[in-house]
Amino acid sequence: MPVKAGSKAGKEKADKENVHNRIAVLRAERGVSRRELATALGVHYQTIGYLERGEYSPSLHLALRIAGFFEVPVEVVFSLEPFPRLGST
Amino acid sequence: MRTRWTEAQKEATEKDVLPSWHATRKRRRVLAGAGGAAIAMVWSGTVVSWNLAPSDTAMYWTISLLVLAVLIALPVITVLNAATRGTVSLAERDLDERQVAERLRAHAVAHRAMLVLLAVVVVAVLGVPGDRGTFIPMAAIVMGVVSLFLTHLLMPVLVAGWRQPDPPPDDEETA
Repeated sequence: MPVKAGSKAGKEKADKENVHNRIAVLRAERGVSRRELATALGVHYQTIGYLERGEYSPSLHLALRIAGFFEVPVEVVFSLEPFPRLGST
Repeated sequence: MRTRWTEAQKEATEKDVLPSWHATRKRRRVLAGAGGAAIAMVWSGTVVSWNLAPSDTAMYWTISLLVLAVLIALPVITVLNAATRGTVSLAERDLDERQVAERLRAHAVAHRAMLVLLAVVVVAVLGVPGDRGTFIPMAAIVMGVVSLFLTHLLMPVLVAGWRQPDPPPDDEETA
């Protein structure tokens, strides 16, 4: 279930169920603005920002649509483990 | 079928109404607190009517409190609706999954708060000394119903405004 970080309990839950993503990196790489991505996915542009900040974990449906938009497998965009920093081995 | 009204409503929630009023979480919480104070004023009117009606004093105090509450609540609700981008005011089909989840959370919290309030009202009414023939002013009953209605109506948007985290900056703003 999507988790919205807001209250203390919400933050603790979000920390436990945190899903890391590379939306910001992919977006920058493809030169897509938040609003363009939001329009393509049919969501509010602020939702893209909350996703990028890790304050909202998307439903499976939205996650698959984001991966579909960037034409990459879903595990390229989302991971339960933090993504390695660029340049790290 | 989408009406012109819902389109206009959706556009209105995307406009930044008085952005400085809701720019930070602290300010949004102050606004939600002011909305809560407005609700408390209407309830105060009910208490005044219960104790002093029928009398001119009760009428003037009740009307003054009601007008003051409306004057506070109107801008507060307008600004909080803009801050939350219509999370609790728009139709569900106009919201995305994050907004729908936030709306459900706001309604759940408001429902719980309303339940507590109803319990307090029941205890207060049953705690009034007297018997079946005790006189209760009609003004107090009317104000009580108005208070319940306004509380039920405003609580979700106040909760949503209170909970709203700081939105991420628009990438057009950061560019």
